[in-house]
Amino acid sequence: MQEPEKVLEIRSVDRSFGGLRALKEVSLHVNRGEIFGLVGPNGSGKTTIVNSVTGFYPPDKGDILFEGRSIKGMAPHRVARLGIARTFQNLALFRGMSVLDNILVGRHIHMHPSALAALFYWVWAEREELRHRDIVEETIDFLQLQDVRDTPIEIVPLGLQKRIELARALVSEPRMLILDEPMAGMNQEEKEYMARFILDAREERGLTVLLIEHHMDVVSALCDRMTVLSYGEQIAGGKPAEALSNPRVIEAYLGTKGREHAA
Amino acid sequence: MLYRLAGIRHTTYRSARQLFPIPFDRKLLGFVILLGVAAPFYLSPLHLNSYLLPWVIWTTAALGLNLLMGWAGQVHLGYAAVMAIGAYAAIHATRFGLPLEAALLVGGLASSVIGLAFGAAALRVKGLYLAVTTLAMQSIVDWTIVHVPAISGGSQATLQAPTLRLFGLPIETDAGRYWYALGLCAIVTVFLLNVSRTSFGRALVAVREKDFAAAIIGVSPFKFKLLAFWCSSFIGGVTGAILAFCYYRAITPEQFHLEVSIQVVAMVIVGGLGSVLGSYFGAGLVLLAPIFLNNWVASLASALNLSLQTDVLSQIPLVLYGGLIVGFLLFEPLGLAKIYDNVRNYFLVWPFRHAR
Repeated sequence: MQEPEKVLEIRSVDRSFGGLRALKEVSLHVNRGEIFGLVGPNGSGKTTIVNSVTGFYPPDKGDILFEGRSIKGMAPHRVARLGIARTFQNLALFRGMSVLDNILVGRHIHMHPSALAALFYWVWAEREELRHRDIVEETIDFLQLQDVRDTPIEIVPLGLQKRIELARALVSEPRMLILDEPMAGMNQEEKEYMARFILDAREERGLTVLLIEHHMDVVSALCDRMTVLSYGEQIAGGKPAEALSNPRVIEAYLGTKGREHAA
Repeated sequence: MLYRLAGIRHTTYRSARQLFPIPFDRKLLGFVILLGVAAPFYLSPLHLNSYLLPWVIWTTAALGLNLLMGWAGQVHLGYAAVMAIGAYAAIHATRFGLPLEAALLVGGLASSVIGLAFGAAALRVKGLYLAVTTLAMQSIVDWTIVHVPAISGGSQATLQAPTLRLFGLPIETDAGRYWYALGLCAIVTVFLLNVSRTSFGRALVAVREKDFAAAIIGVSPFKFKLLAFWCSSFIGGVTGAILAFCYYRAITPEQFHLEVSIQVVAMVIVGGLGSVLGSYFGAGLVLLAPIFLNNWVASLASALNLSLQTDVLSQIPLVLYGGLIVGFLLFEPLGLAKIYDNVRNYFLVWPFRHAR
């Protein structure tokens, strides 16, 4: 069998904040086309991993490779240009713009923003704007956001805002998508919608997905492989069923007493 | 304002993305443009020269600052210094023999280069610290202009602006000067209207709202803050030059002091951050309110038999600006433009409020 291509590879990454060692020698890799789950109790370092991949908190030690190229210490806006998109745990949409404009910002790396183009809009910018509008509309259709398109972002309900953030990440045509708790605060129906969108996005766009999620039902249903973190340490990994039945995982989530109950 | 949105349909992205998608707005705008262009024919020279002309010029300045404060979200308390650089550079350039159009560009470039130098230093800090750093720029530029005789001719000197020219033809009439200023204002207005609907403007707003989220979709926050500084300073410089050529016609360092910076900030905030229309409203209110207020206070004082000294009278506008800034920030942070918008939205469905 052919060796699967590693899209993202994290090699024994270490990161401390003051005296707190948030990541301890974490190593993992995500193969092309995979949905890779990253789980663990609160404060276990999941978001820190994502932040060191996307350049916000460069690792102290270790290396991060994207498609075979080291991206360690690269500024976030450069990482984005390589083809990594992400969403945030606490929504990070731009107030003061409509839903459509929020998604259009996602096309930034494919456009040529300049002040002169704004001044001579009709000559320089209009065609580009309309061409990218077409592309954005495809994603709006895909994520079923048609009826909120022109709504100011502030008054869109939370569940939809998560979907808009996914849309903004998708329109940048990334090869790797990092989702930081895309289903936090959602009800069952919204969760199911979101799960379907994630699967469809991988199917239709050939994405590789790194998924952080707390809902274990979602993780075990969606992910091909996963890693479980606790206090910055990898305590289990592999297929969801194996990883989640690991005694150390049960201990991390439920304590030693819980482990007895689970057993 | 009794018109409806019903029946207005856009079938192409192009028509939906127009600057004014509502036909009524276009007609209203056409009417206002007509009023503006024809103003010299129906206004007395006094009204034209001391109300409308400064309004148009300060609107341009407010628009320039609004790009930085409203769109990119960076405070600038030294905008008068930016304008001063433009004014002095342009006047010296024309004296050097450059045609006026080139001199305006020189003024704009001088402002943007110096503004950018300060901006690059200032943008390493945020919020309050940025405000203080731009304040330092104001002081440094003020000091330099006064103390370098080659620029100002000395602290007491006035520098005469050469005649305004369009492609070498001298413009000597009030109407001509007004139209010149109006032309620049129109260009800047079109620019800012278009900024809102292009990737440039969206990137600025993204950086203003959440710079980390902007970075993750590929917008370099530092680059776009600098670009905003650059563009805003360029507009400020050209506007400063226009102010010198069309309005003051002889400039002294006092015309560009800190009070003036505060005045432009007041225009932007009172009018509405990030609103083109707001800059028109804000400049109008901040310029015209003190005039009416002073007349009103003076007549009140004489009615009550109080004798007010002129320096008390001259401080009243400053108190007013402060009050306006505080009031608007507290009660309507989006300014007069938002109030206009609310009224308009109300009447769009009046009297069927439930239809919204």
